[in-house]
Amino acid sequence: MEFQAVVMAAGGGSRMTDLTSSIPKPLLPVGNRPLLWYPLNLLERAGFEEVIVITRKEIQKMLNLDTKMKLDFVCVSDNMDMGTADSLRHIHQKIKTDVLVLSCDLITDVDLYKVVDLFRTHDASLSMLMKKAHEPTEGVPGQKGKKKPVEQRDFIGVDDTGKRLLFMANEADLDEELVIKRSILQKHPRMHIRTGLMDAHLYCLKKYVLDFLVENRTITSLRSELIPHLVRKQFSSPPSLQQGLDNKEEDQKKKEQASLDIYSFIKEDNSLLKPAPDNSCWNDHRGDMNETLHEGKVRCYVHIMKEGLCYRVNTLGLYIEANRQVPKLLLNLGLEESLVHGSAQITDRGMVGSDSIIGPSTQIGEKTSIKRSIIGSMCTIKDKVKITNCIIMNSVTIEEGCCLQGSVICHNAVIEKGADIKDCLIGSDQRLETKAKHVNEVIVGTEQLMEI
Amino acid sequence: MANVAMIDYTLEFLTATGVEETFVFCCWKSAEIKEHLQKSKWCRHTSPNTVRFVTSDLYRSLGDVLRDVDAKSLVRSDFILVTGDVVSNFNISKALEEHKLRRKMQKNVSVMTMIFKESSPGHHARCKEDDIVIAMDSATNRVLHYQRTQGLKRFRFPMSLFQNSIENVEVRHDLLDCHISICSPQVAELFTDNFDYQTRDDFVRGLLVNEEVLGNQIHMHVTTEDYGAHICNLLMYEAVCSDIIRRWVYPLTPEMNFTDDKNQNYTHSKHNIYRGVDVSLGHGSVLEENVLIGQGTVIGSNCSITNSVIGQNCRIGDEVTLDGAVLWDRVHIADNVEIHHSVICDEAEVKEKVKLKPRCVLSSQVVVGPGITLSEGTVISLHPPDEEEEDDDQFSDDSGVNKESKVKLKGYNKKDVGSEGRGYLWKADDKNEDDEEEQRQSLWGPAMHSEEESESDSDLSMGSEEPDSRAASPQLDDIKVFQNEVLGTLQRGEEENISCDNLVLEINSLKYAYNISLKEMMQVLSKVILEFPLQQLDANLDSQNYFSALLPLLKNWTPLFKNYIKRASDHLNALCAIEEFFLEHDSLCTSIAKVLMTFYQLEILEEDVILNWFSLRDTSDKGKQLRKNQRLQKFIQWLEEAEEESSDGDQD
Repeated sequence: MEFQAVVMAAGGGSRMTDLTSSIPKPLLPVGNRPLLWYPLNLLERAGFEEVIVITRKEIQKMLNLDTKMKLDFVCVSDNMDMGTADSLRHIHQKIKTDVLVLSCDLITDVDLYKVVDLFRTHDASLSMLMKKAHEPTEGVPGQKGKKKPVEQRDFIGVDDTGKRLLFMANEADLDEELVIKRSILQKHPRMHIRTGLMDAHLYCLKKYVLDFLVENRTITSLRSELIPHLVRKQFSSPPSLQQGLDNKEEDQKKKEQASLDIYSFIKEDNSLLKPAPDNSCWNDHRGDMNETLHEGKVRCYVHIMKEGLCYRVNTLGLYIEANRQVPKLLLNLGLEESLVHGSAQITDRGMVGSDSIIGPSTQIGEKTSIKRSIIGSMCTIKDKVKITNCIIMNSVTIEEGCCLQGSVICHNAVIEKGADIKDCLIGSDQRLETKAKHVNEVIVGTEQLMEI
Repeated sequence: MANVAMIDYTLEFLTATGVEETFVFCCWKSAEIKEHLQKSKWCRHTSPNTVRFVTSDLYRSLGDVLRDVDAKSLVRSDFILVTGDVVSNFNISKALEEHKLRRKMQKNVSVMTMIFKESSPGHHARCKEDDIVIAMDSATNRVLHYQRTQGLKRFRFPMSLFQNSIENVEVRHDLLDCHISICSPQVAELFTDNFDYQTRDDFVRGLLVNEEVLGNQIHMHVTTEDYGAHICNLLMYEAVCSDIIRRWVYPLTPEMNFTDDKNQNYTHSKHNIYRGVDVSLGHGSVLEENVLIGQGTVIGSNCSITNSVIGQNCRIGDEVTLDGAVLWDRVHIADNVEIHHSVICDEAEVKEKVKLKPRCVLSSQVVVGPGITLSEGTVISLHPPDEEEEDDDQFSDDSGVNKESKVKLKGYNKKDVGSEGRGYLWKADDKNEDDEEEQRQSLWGPAMHSEEESESDSDLSMGSEEPDSRAASPQLDDIKVFQNEVLGTLQRGEEENISCDNLVLEINSLKYAYNISLKEMMQVLSKVILEFPLQQLDANLDSQNYFSALLPLLKNWTPLFKNYIKRASDHLNALCAIEEFFLEHDSLCTSIAKVLMTFYQLEILEEDVILNWFSLRDTSDKGKQLRKNQRLQKFIQWLEEAEEESSDGDQD
């Protein structure tokens, strides 16, 4: 086994609490499938047979996935605030090889081998996936005006080939200027500074990185701590081991320090592979005859997707956007089932757009038009309803003459006759009264709000 | 440069690229340059490139030249700006096209296109002195940030570079600045508008910083195939020289004789051996590779010559080893000499069994040897390092008569140049080793690799995460520094008998330089002067000697005090400083009364203020003890009486 795959599905979805207060993030329906299905499907397509899923108890109970892979659920208690690194540390005993870590909110049609091949070719410590961030195309319910991206921008420095990750900084950590060490530019004289890239939270990590993580308990997050640490470590030389020999005490100290240093975790290659770089005349840079890979022990690579789908569903806006794109993705993946489920009862097929998904056992009345929408299972949609650009989850009832536009309707909501809703988020078990009119609102249960 | 003057390369480059009119601006030794060019093919009628001279002693910088260009309105269209030390075979037409297109698309926005040559860090023609890092917009080739990197460990890029709509900012450290720029006429105007621009760097920086205000942009063109280099120091000189011999600058190779000089005919044979007319090579001598030998040079037997340039009419003895040597014209090398990577100028002479380690320079007409070894980086010149001797030395250069006696008179250091040697070891200052190091570095240009080492060292020390643990050098207190400076000034004043007016001037300028308030100024001055005798004589003085040493000083510097002590508060400040001094030096305590007395008699301090000070209540215990000093009390008493008397007198 070359890789073990780990899917992180314990996160709370803290950036879209309106949605996740009633439905845990991994279970959010996207194209009538739980969000977690997408990363698992990505792994399945790549040929993985076993996956470790880190999640919470109640999520595991509710989860119902059709997959041929063997899923190994590891539950973490939800009252412990565990970061991604903590979670990985939690399961480290199960990890025997290099590891592929994914987040449960990743929806992408990337060819996973591209990321993995980078990892293999360059004997990298880390390889990751990035994609140009999406500009939000349409408004998000409950948001007034155009919102500026709240998140701080990341600065990513890649080398000439666009693969080697040389530099990483967040806008929040920088003052007035971007500082780049000379030694980096000495080795990689051309550096492209990219902004506006989204990290897909898909990481290939060497086993030793995990060992390092186990020892370094201070690191709690992969994205904000471990990855930047690795990127920085690429260009600092390992501590020299000779100095400590004179003095035993010092030696002891060194050892203690070294245990926290990533270099001490890097195991030497087995004897066959080791001389290979020395004996080959290939090197990965131009202009001089220095050693391949500049002797750097830690190497980080990134695959930047130029085209294709890649979404991280971590905000309401992205959730809506992902739902919009998913019909395309599902068709591309060649899943034979049609977008309209066989058990759905639709009286007037002509009114259902080809870009909509309709779940099983859903009933749709006459003269009801559905465009660019996703409708879950067991919904009842009565006559003369207009649904455009909506996401309707399971067991929702929509009565006659409603007009829904650009909204998200959660489980078991009931929308009574003649309601007119535009750009709203309707929470679970909500009941909208007859002829209610809402524009750009978030309507969720009060008791849920109290919980938050 | 490979037996051809540097400026010929520059002019050939310009002509080859299609330039039809060239202005040569010269300042230093302009007559010689003019003479050289007038003899050359550039000034013949057939020359496709009309060369004009503009000479002035007032040109101190590129800025001066361009302001002059603007004033005389010499250029009306785009022009190429190069320094006279550029060696290149670059064809400018493509860059020029790009430049013109940009100018057409957006009128007058792009004012300059800089030409760079791609070469990785560590390339031998990249010198630290001229090393740059650039941030560019890879889509439009616009220069966003231009920075010299000498001595920098980290490069800083202002965040504003990344805020704009530019998607892909590229940071490049693999560029060699050819110092060739295509400029629009605006460049000269901008130099006129901004009289503080001295160099092209100033210009580029100013333009980039004010880009948003002025709306001017700079673009760049990167060449990968062509050759271009700017010879700013000896390191570059050596590198470019060897590149010419190795035909990297084709078609500017020695055998092409592009200067069309009949003395510059060479035959080119394999291993890049170039031989001029009438070269004689002794039995058993080997020209290994990359050797250029000028016309009429005679080489003895059993020599080994590699990677070297030898000028015209040189005489080289037997069993000589030249490796990476550059010999100019009429150099004499005796037998059994070994020269590595050094430059030897016109008519210099190296005697028997001399060994030159790498990076030595022998200036014109210098003689070294016999039988000595010059250590690495030795520079020998006929001009003595001390300026005072320069005049008569130049005389000795020319005369040639009575050389022997003059040598003895002046005493060439036999240790440095050998028993028959002539010349002075070039050192900035004998006392200061660091200075010499600097001098040598500036001549050869700091080598690239030495820097890399230090780089890795620094990496080691900051291997851990904290990227920002920059150790700030302990900053000396401004007042401390100021005090030292004042002390130095006064010492000099004392030694050289400088008038008080000048001292005041100097101290004033120091005061502004260190931003010292008047109060601090007063305290420092009093303290320095009172401590002065302690500095001059032994630290452990008894009060008697101390006072006798101080008295003449005080008398001398009375105007100094008077200049600063004007208001009542100044008097008080001075007194406080005096008190402080005596509190620090207990042993001298007894002389305080005398000192105050002197100040009073010299009319520096007024009696009211002294009395005022004496009666100050909020003093420390020590201060109180000081005031109990008998002599001081006597003095005060005397003062009080004197005042009464005088006031009595007034009443009368």
